[in-house]
Amino acid sequence: MTVLAPSFAALLLAATLSRLGGRPRLLGPVAVAGMAGVALVGLAVALTGPGIEIAWGPAFGLTLGAQGFGRVMLVLVPAIATPVVAYAAGSGEDGLARLLSFMAAFVAAMLLLVTAGDFISLLIGWELVGATSWALIGHGWRDRSNVDAATQAFLTTRLGDLGLYAAAGAVFAATGSFAFDGVGVAASPWREIVAAGVLLAAAAKSAQVPFSPWLFAAMSGPTPVSALLHSATLVSAGAYLLIRLAPSLAAVPWFLPAITAVGLATALSGGAVAALHPHGKRVLAASTSAQYGLMFLAVGAGSTAAAGAQLVTHAVFKALLFLTAGIAIHATGTPEIRRWRLGRSLPAPAAAAAIGALALAGVPPLGAAWSKEAVVSAAVAAGPALGALALAASLLTAAYAGRFLVLAYGPGDLARGLRRPEPAELAALGALAAATIALAVLWLPPARAVVEAATGGTLEGGSVWETAAALAALAAGWAVVLVLDRRGWLGSGAAPGSRRVLVEDWLGLPHLATRLVVRPVSGLSLALARADDRVVDAGVRAAARVGRAVSVIAARQVDLSIDRVVMSTAGAALAAARGSWRADDAVVDGSVEGAGRLVGVAGHQSRRLQTGLTHHYYVIGALGVAAIAAVLAVAR
Amino acid sequence: MLTAAIFVPILAALAIALLPRHRGLGASPRGLTVVATAVAAVPLVLLAVAWLRFDGAPGFQQVEAVPWIPTLGIAYRVGLDGLSLPLAAMTGLVFTVAVAYPVDLRGRPVAYFALMLFLEGVSVGLFLALDLFLFFVFWDVSLVAMYFLIGAWGHGDAQRSALKFFLYTFAGSLPLLLAILGVYLAAEPHTFDMAEIIRQQPLAGGGIYAALVFAGFFIGFAIKTPIAPFHTWLPPAHVDAPGPASAILAGVLLKMGTYGFVRILMSVLPDLWAQLAPALAVLAVISIVYGALVALAQTNLKRLIAYTSVNHMGYVILGLAVAGAAAPGQEAARALALTGATVEMVAHGLITGGLFLVSGSVLARGGTYDLETYGGLLGRARSLTWLTALLAFASLGLPGLAGFVAEVQIFVGALAVYPALAIVALLGIVVTAGLFLRMLGRVFLGALPDRWREFPDLGRREAGLLGVLAGLVLLIGVVPGWLLGTIDAFAGPFVGRP
Repeated sequence: MTVLAPSFAALLLAATLSRLGGRPRLLGPVAVAGMAGVALVGLAVALTGPGIEIAWGPAFGLTLGAQGFGRVMLVLVPAIATPVVAYAAGSGEDGLARLLSFMAAFVAAMLLLVTAGDFISLLIGWELVGATSWALIGHGWRDRSNVDAATQAFLTTRLGDLGLYAAAGAVFAATGSFAFDGVGVAASPWREIVAAGVLLAAAAKSAQVPFSPWLFAAMSGPTPVSALLHSATLVSAGAYLLIRLAPSLAAVPWFLPAITAVGLATALSGGAVAALHPHGKRVLAASTSAQYGLMFLAVGAGSTAAAGAQLVTHAVFKALLFLTAGIAIHATGTPEIRRWRLGRSLPAPAAAAAIGALALAGVPPLGAAWSKEAVVSAAVAAGPALGALALAASLLTAAYAGRFLVLAYGPGDLARGLRRPEPAELAALGALAAATIALAVLWLPPARAVVEAATGGTLEGGSVWETAAALAALAAGWAVVLVLDRRGWLGSGAAPGSRRVLVEDWLGLPHLATRLVVRPVSGLSLALARADDRVVDAGVRAAARVGRAVSVIAARQVDLSIDRVVMSTAGAALAAARGSWRADDAVVDGSVEGAGRLVGVAGHQSRRLQTGLTHHYYVIGALGVAAIAAVLAVAR
Repeated sequence: MLTAAIFVPILAALAIALLPRHRGLGASPRGLTVVATAVAAVPLVLLAVAWLRFDGAPGFQQVEAVPWIPTLGIAYRVGLDGLSLPLAAMTGLVFTVAVAYPVDLRGRPVAYFALMLFLEGVSVGLFLALDLFLFFVFWDVSLVAMYFLIGAWGHGDAQRSALKFFLYTFAGSLPLLLAILGVYLAAEPHTFDMAEIIRQQPLAGGGIYAALVFAGFFIGFAIKTPIAPFHTWLPPAHVDAPGPASAILAGVLLKMGTYGFVRILMSVLPDLWAQLAPALAVLAVISIVYGALVALAQTNLKRLIAYTSVNHMGYVILGLAVAGAAAPGQEAARALALTGATVEMVAHGLITGGLFLVSGSVLARGGTYDLETYGGLLGRARSLTWLTALLAFASLGLPGLAGFVAEVQIFVGALAVYPALAIVALLGIVVTAGLFLRMLGRVFLGALPDRWREFPDLGRREAGLLGVLAGLVLLIGVVPGWLLGTIDAFAGPFVGRP
């Protein structure tokens, strides 16, 4: 089976779904069955591991293959997408056929991305993922704010894509090929460019500082879109790329520390935002950033295996949490998390949310706790300070996971008249919750070898006190949440203009981006456009004016010349006539002289016409054209 | 056969123009459209056959030569290679689509179709010409035909725009003529034969004479391309031209400038080009960033697209600067850049040609190019929206579409030779993404204003014709091997890749 089969299958599904708009009942079953089929194809390809090379030119082409962590992604992406499309079909969004079709196309692009074995294929998948996510985030296109948010998300990630273009060029310059294999052997300074480009692209896609705020913009899409984007796709592409390439680039001295720094900054700042934000979906979005920050941290600490495990467990529980948030928003009609408290009203989603939140917080024996410990162990192995900071990030995680659970699905009043979840929605929750629990197999001893084989990395063996410290951090986080809740502070909003508002708004990053990037660029663009009309073209208009002036002078000269020719001709003729009339023997002489003079004069004048100065020709030519134009205009 | 591709449309144009006005075809615009489209497709078909016969060897093929003015070394010589073939074929396609595209004929169908067909023959001829004198004849005549198309079928301040276009580009053809004469005089024996001149390299010694010839060619081609700051004739000409004429102006006529750079300037004066390549690359990057930023600020749909042409032609010039640069050991990267620049010429012809046809259809329905007056058209005009979106995404360089195949090769080549400039140039693709997404958002998404409740979608003919362009853009994006292989037959030997 060709390595492109999963992408083709998803593309075929997208085409099918786009034609089912007139038969809404078929949409859900076809989407779910189709996506499950894609997952099976992905599994088959992941197990057989085929590869393909497509030559476009002598040194330009695509290398695709099911290799390394890409094989895990081949299964994970459609496997997560299956319950998500089931949920989407159940939720009955407007334009459902278009939504499901674009989701399938999006999955196709993501599957292409994870089979890429060179930078060109990667870039193709990478940008197609971005473009389809634009269509998904802007799904509610009648509201322009959604469209603007989609554009913001696309532009932010495209800014990061530049890194991949640069990396592709640098690898080619160094090795004459685009293949990933060349990354490790590229010479300096090309290797440094590759490293910087990869880091830029990964940070932008995985919503790391300073690019994080685009995730808030991405919340404008329908809930299933958020669930898909934030779990195994789009956002995961950055971490996936690092898992795949960081080992080859480890020789660049600043590369791993830079990844660590970015990841740590995001884990802490994203955690703070998630712990404070009043909107349920945005709490989860900030948490996505923070969780990917932990994966970056793991990669930076040298453990791609820990990052890979965390990516998988996070994908499952985050999809689950987003869907529970979607149900809460549908039920209450508000994104404000403190107005939810649906524990009594919607017990089944509440149970699912509890499983998701426990996994997010890292409570054993869930698999997410295992992967989080692997991350912390990797950080500790890299240095005690880093370990302590990773523990602090865990504490934050526990705190915002607890806050989310208590506020969203904590025991509140029994509300009436809520929109009940559809069976398809509940089924999706059930499947994801079951998967979250099933990942507890990671605690079994053989899992370690499997994870190491799947990611190609190694895991640090955690010590007992590390586990104890992680559990203590968890307990501390939850204790804080419970205390705050008892005092009624947990759901309290921020005073307008307070510092907390700044934190909620991602530490003012969007503000900074507007100040430092958006406004200068649009100001510059307006100024240049004005200048283009006035200054640049003014040169041309001035030249035209000079040309006109020259042409007037030239025309006068031409007139004069012609006058002179006529006058001299007349004069010569007169002189000749006079001469012939006066003297017989002078007749011949006179006419010869006259003719000679005539020729001389005419020759002189025509020399004046042919000055050899090109602008005279040109002006005369232009005048002729203008005359033609004028005739045309009049004749019309 | 190439001769037929050039002269069938020209002779048909004469025949149509001389046709009795009151009987037969002249009386029925519809019949005339069908006939003109059929004629316009003849070069396309002939060039497709020529493509099948193309064997991928370096040098000119399928040459047809007839002595014309032997005493001056002028001959009618046409032929093709991996550079001119894709451009000529693209010209045939864009003309066929443009001729068939519905347009307000202003009651003068005969003159319109005659001019279009005449211009097609001339344009195809320019790309196939292997004689500098013939090249110049086609070059100048194309200006005249386009001048009338803008002036007589344009809107707004069409006369003024047409005149500005004509005078400005005509100002470019004067130095071009002098440069051609300079090359002619330098060749020994004097000749206008391009292949012979390229073989002789008469100006290889450099010096002030070569520099003047270089300057002449450069000004002529830079105005036509256009490279900023020689671009100000472009926006008014586009805005006031009818849709199909705009499509040809952007799709075909701009390529004459970039084609001239490769075919003549880089081939005749390679050493000087290599010396000046860093400066040219800087100019190109200025065009890229400047064109994108100015386009971003436009509120007029057509001006916006016109300025993206400045941006895209900047990519082409960047590719050419890299391709001709002195960078030992980077032949593969330079070949990539040259291939990319050539693909960009073809892709830009299809994409921007399509976008200008779209703006013609928008004007015909809404009566204005002002972006802010539109909105929400997706709800009313689905095929218009989807086709525009596809072309816009192609123009911003989305993978899977033709623009990406071109731009990624240019960037990769540029990064190997001028890393810092390449990184600045990359910023251009973020700005173009922003401006096209903004355009799509303003025109097609958001709430539908009441006045457009009855906004009609594309007719079947418009949608079909745009679909042809969009389909080819998609084909080149997904399976570019056939096109890249043809171009590489020229590009590889040109840069001396081992």
